[in-house]
Amino acid sequence: MREKIIEILNEICPGNDFENETAIIDDGIIDSLDIVAVISELMEEFDVQLGVNDLTPENFNSVDAIVELIENAQD
Amino acid sequence: MAFTSASFIVLTIASVLLYYIVPKKAQWCILLLASAAFYMAGSVKAFAWVVLVAGMTWVTGLILGRYNAIKPADKAQKAQIQHKKKQIAIICAVCCFGLLYAMKYWNFTLELLPSALGNHIPRWDFVVPLGLSFFIFQSMSYVIDVYRGKYAPERNPLRYSLFVSFFPQMVQGPISRFDQLAPQLTAERKLCWDDLQIGIQLALWGYFKKIVIADRAAVLVNNVIMENCPYGGAVIALGILFYCIQLYCDFSGGIDITRGVARMFGIDMTLNFRQPLFSTSLTDYWRRWHITLGAWMRDYVFYPLAFSKPFGKLGKWARKHFKGMMGKICATSTATFIVYLIIGIWHGANFRYIAFGLWNGILITASLLMERRFLSWKEKLHINDKSTGWRIFMTVRTFGLVFIGRYFTRAPRLKTVFTLLGTTVLHPHFSEFTSVVPTLGLGISDFIIIFVGILIVHGVEFFEERGTDVQAWLNERPALMQLTVLTVSLVVLLLFGIFRAGYISSEFIYKQF
Repeated sequence: MREKIIEILNEICPGNDFENETAIIDDGIIDSLDIVAVISELMEEFDVQLGVNDLTPENFNSVDAIVELIENAQD
Repeated sequence: MAFTSASFIVLTIASVLLYYIVPKKAQWCILLLASAAFYMAGSVKAFAWVVLVAGMTWVTGLILGRYNAIKPADKAQKAQIQHKKKQIAIICAVCCFGLLYAMKYWNFTLELLPSALGNHIPRWDFVVPLGLSFFIFQSMSYVIDVYRGKYAPERNPLRYSLFVSFFPQMVQGPISRFDQLAPQLTAERKLCWDDLQIGIQLALWGYFKKIVIADRAAVLVNNVIMENCPYGGAVIALGILFYCIQLYCDFSGGIDITRGVARMFGIDMTLNFRQPLFSTSLTDYWRRWHITLGAWMRDYVFYPLAFSKPFGKLGKWARKHFKGMMGKICATSTATFIVYLIIGIWHGANFRYIAFGLWNGILITASLLMERRFLSWKEKLHINDKSTGWRIFMTVRTFGLVFIGRYFTRAPRLKTVFTLLGTTVLHPHFSEFTSVVPTLGLGISDFIIIFVGILIVHGVEFFEERGTDVQAWLNERPALMQLTVLTVSLVVLLLFGIFRAGYISSEFIYKQF
């Protein structure tokens, strides 16, 4: 799952070291326009439902946080 | 019952007195009774529609709550529950928005049909309830939030009805959220003098904006902006400028009265304006103007649209086929454009409101597309976007765009919008200023009052924009000074307020929405 998430992030916002990044949103690496695309891709790739309630910086600041978000949505 | 009527003031005083006299457990019942009295004073039939919408959304909330409580055994059952919840929420949305459509847009739709067909379909001639779209939007936000599992449904139908019908918000909002407002409505409270004082101050500030500035500016606006306007462009532009003043002081003044009355019961209602005069872009303006409508559109239209499968596919397709910004923002800007179009239509059943939505949608979408180009121009021209000069330029430019947009919302119909805009640009006739303006219903003293009033409003907002809480500052002054400010405010209202026959001021503009 981690690899696929990094692939999606790199596809939408290339040229970043997402593997080690822990402030993806806080540092503005992904902006509000990109995050919409990221969520759409994640929902399609992992067949999960994400919504407005999930749209917090903490859920997208690192790949680990995104993995946790997806796993929670899959439960 | 208008906010500016004696009966509203009597209802408010009586409700506040009773609220703090009755046992604490019954306090919310006083608010419910006051809300029913407020609404029924206008129209008993219209009240029935509020009860219908409240009943429908309350039952839907309960059903959705039951599904939320089920712990699915497996993925298949989870999907099945989700599917049922979606069906229930959609049925409720179709009923509520269908009612809104029937009441606000049905007759407009018939006018669009060929007369041979349109004349044979019955028109909707029921009384349109006060604040129809406000309470439908508020109720639907509750249904969608329960659907999303954000909170548990309210089990008591009367407590829920109070959330839908709380009387200060029934005229023009703000569009509150259940988890923010409902716990405050049913809380048990002791009398707090600070709340009373802040409430009275807020309400007086709202009345000042409404009956001293807005209703005075309206006199000139009504004499200028009309079908077959005989004046040149300069006078028309003055009329629209006064309309901008009228609209802001009318709407934000009404919200201040709403928040002030609610505060007298200890209830802190959500903000609906955050110094929109200081906006530096149209997007920024819509974040500061009618904040609760913008937030509603963001949470219940924009994100569901942007996260939907079709928009996901559109985004993927755009990133593949367009390079750079266009590919990045195609799906988001399409969703943004749709939101502004809906905001335009929300204002009313008329082509000029649709055009107003398009005006905002096109400008904001274009600014998203051009963002990188603007940044490179700024770099080349060595513009410091933190400088005061640049900020003033951006504020004036934004006001210019808002000003043009106001032609759409004030002119009687779309054709007149373009006639008025054309005359403003092509035939300004500046010489009319001295001959025509004195005949537009306002004397020199009225212009001075409006000018001073706007200076005061702008001054207060200037300090708030810089982070000063003006009300908190006032409340820290000595009691004598506070009493003087209250007395002066009352005297100013009585001396300079525009009162019509029977001491009823004109209606609020946003009431019609």
